[in-house]
Amino acid sequence: MPALTFNKVSKTFGDHSVINAFNADIHDGEFLVLLGPSGCGKSTLLRMIAGLSDITSGDLLFDGSVANDWEPKKRGVAFVFQTYALYPHMTVRENIAFPLVMDAFRKWYHLPIVNIVARHRLMKRADIAERTLSIARQLELEPLLDRRPASLSGGQRQRVALARALVRNPDLYLLDEPLSNLDAKLRTQMRSEISALHHKVGKTFVYVTHDQVEAMTMATRIIVMNKGIVQQVDTPDEIYDHPANTFVARFVGSPPMNLIPASVNNDALQLSGKLAVDHAAPFPSRRHMTFGVRPEKLSLHPAGEGRLPAQVAVVERLGAETVIGCRLMTGEEHNDQRLLEHDLVFVRVSGNPKVKIGELCSLDYQANDVLWFDIDNGDRIFLDQE
Amino acid sequence: MSVSGLKNRSGMARLLPYAFILPPMIYLMVFMFWPLSRQMYMSLTNTRIVNPNRGRFIGLGNYERLIEDPAFYLSLKATLTYTVLTVVIGVALGVVAALAIDRPFKGRAVVRAILLFGWAVPGVAASLIWLWMYNERSGVFNRITELLGIGRFSWLTSTDYALGSVLAVTVWQVAPFVMLVVLAALQSVPQEVREAARIDGADGISTFRAVTLPHIRPSIQLAALLVAVWSIRRFDIIYLLTGGGPLGSTSTLVVKLRQTAFEGHELGMASAYGAVGLALALMVAAIHYTVEQRRMKRMSR
Repeated sequence: MPALTFNKVSKTFGDHSVINAFNADIHDGEFLVLLGPSGCGKSTLLRMIAGLSDITSGDLLFDGSVANDWEPKKRGVAFVFQTYALYPHMTVRENIAFPLVMDAFRKWYHLPIVNIVARHRLMKRADIAERTLSIARQLELEPLLDRRPASLSGGQRQRVALARALVRNPDLYLLDEPLSNLDAKLRTQMRSEISALHHKVGKTFVYVTHDQVEAMTMATRIIVMNKGIVQQVDTPDEIYDHPANTFVARFVGSPPMNLIPASVNNDALQLSGKLAVDHAAPFPSRRHMTFGVRPEKLSLHPAGEGRLPAQVAVVERLGAETVIGCRLMTGEEHNDQRLLEHDLVFVRVSGNPKVKIGELCSLDYQANDVLWFDIDNGDRIFLDQE
Repeated sequence: MSVSGLKNRSGMARLLPYAFILPPMIYLMVFMFWPLSRQMYMSLTNTRIVNPNRGRFIGLGNYERLIEDPAFYLSLKATLTYTVLTVVIGVALGVVAALAIDRPFKGRAVVRAILLFGWAVPGVAASLIWLWMYNERSGVFNRITELLGIGRFSWLTSTDYALGSVLAVTVWQVAPFVMLVVLAALQSVPQEVREAARIDGADGISTFRAVTLPHIRPSIQLAALLVAVWSIRRFDIIYLLTGGGPLGSTSTLVVKLRQTAFEGHELGMASAYGAVGLALALMVAAIHYTVEQRRMKRMSR
């Protein structure tokens, strides 16, 4: 079973650098999610692991041996493509069995006529037929075995692609945004199915996505990437609770972490310009910084009761909970002529508090829920290091 | 707007599509279906070219004469041989050329332009150039064979070589067309499916068979259909190179039709040849249609 090591791996297309000196370890048996916005190089990284893209510089190690030039077949990987990449003219059965047929293929089977006979016989060979059928059963594809991909729904195609990946029993599964072409409901269902699959087969999964919900729900470890550079590598909980910088804080979580510019004036903390707050706890001794707090760590109070006076601007009812977007009352509201709402502070409350847009309210927080970030480079500021 | 105005407009809108297809319909009627039906009728008369409108209806008389005439079978055989060989060799060469040129290499644009040359040159001009090259005394081919020490050949006047020589020119013209059609299909082969095959452990040939070939097969089939129909009705190359000779060895139905009509002056008989040629072309189209329908049905299952 491979443990993967990236040693200063870089990829450039012409002058354009996609991945810059990427270092990481992928442990055996883990579900690693590469998370990042479109174009951050995460798919390229996955294709390098599969052997579909060349590595410009640096080394990729499979169990300690350099695998930069290995053929995809030698790496023993399975790859699930975003578009599923099924063979359109083959039946579901032939699609699933294809990797097995290729494994048993001899060079001389390429001869005309021999080819047709050989394939036909390989498809019927007991071990291949049984393996195909058992995988199809596990993924509930048995009734579809003689259909072709064109007549299947998106979810069914997705399962065929998974079956084709599973059939060879590989050690490493690579999944490139496999759920992004499915509708929301099916996505939720497939998400738990893939998680369950990982638990059952116990192999290494590397999963690429731009959807932080997928990353949070499925991963044992997440690598957050932006512009080809690793932002943070950690467990989902750590990434959520202790983001390394403002990019991670904003990218993970929905709605994202509230990041409010803060400044210190005469030893008093001021948020969003002029709003003085009695923080009642230590804060970094800097002139300017960013104040970060998760929406669910804020609490909603009637006007005047919380430390942060605010006005309701957006209300999103989600049933079990409500997300309320508020504008902080800094005393400059009357000059605000903008039509769109920027810099809203989001609060997540359970149930439906029945607030109206435009209503005055106030927000409050616990001092130990607050994270501080550098205002220039966005890095986390740790209080004990100050 | 009044109600009647609205009604009027919808009435106009209903007529509009017919107005659009009327010109092509008239065109087809005048230049295709009318001459075609006239030809069909003419094949049932003993019309002669000296007085085209005074033919007498003789039923299937022309066809009776046709099936008793050994020259007809010779012509049918020449047509079928010529068509089958053109399709097989032309399509094979075209596909190979397309595959070769599909992958990027240095000077690809130049090579593609050269390969397309045969298709771009008008048939008559090409035939005349080839006629010079085939020339027994001064043609470049005989110069080469003489240099190689295997003597001169009667490229166009020997029954052994004439059909082959005509075929060579035809393939030279047809293969680039096939290449263009197949190249277009090749460029739309989904890259991800090819990569999936690589991951699944398929080597180059297996990837071609599993991914590329099924994807380009409809295009190859269409190209084959067109080449077949063109070969059945090709006139310029054959007539200019051999005129149907020697001893009728390259006298396809179309060449025979011309000879019967304008050398034998028998328009009725010539029409019968035309009808046979048309039937042949329709048969090829019917085969193509059936295969295509079957594939569609299979793919949607």
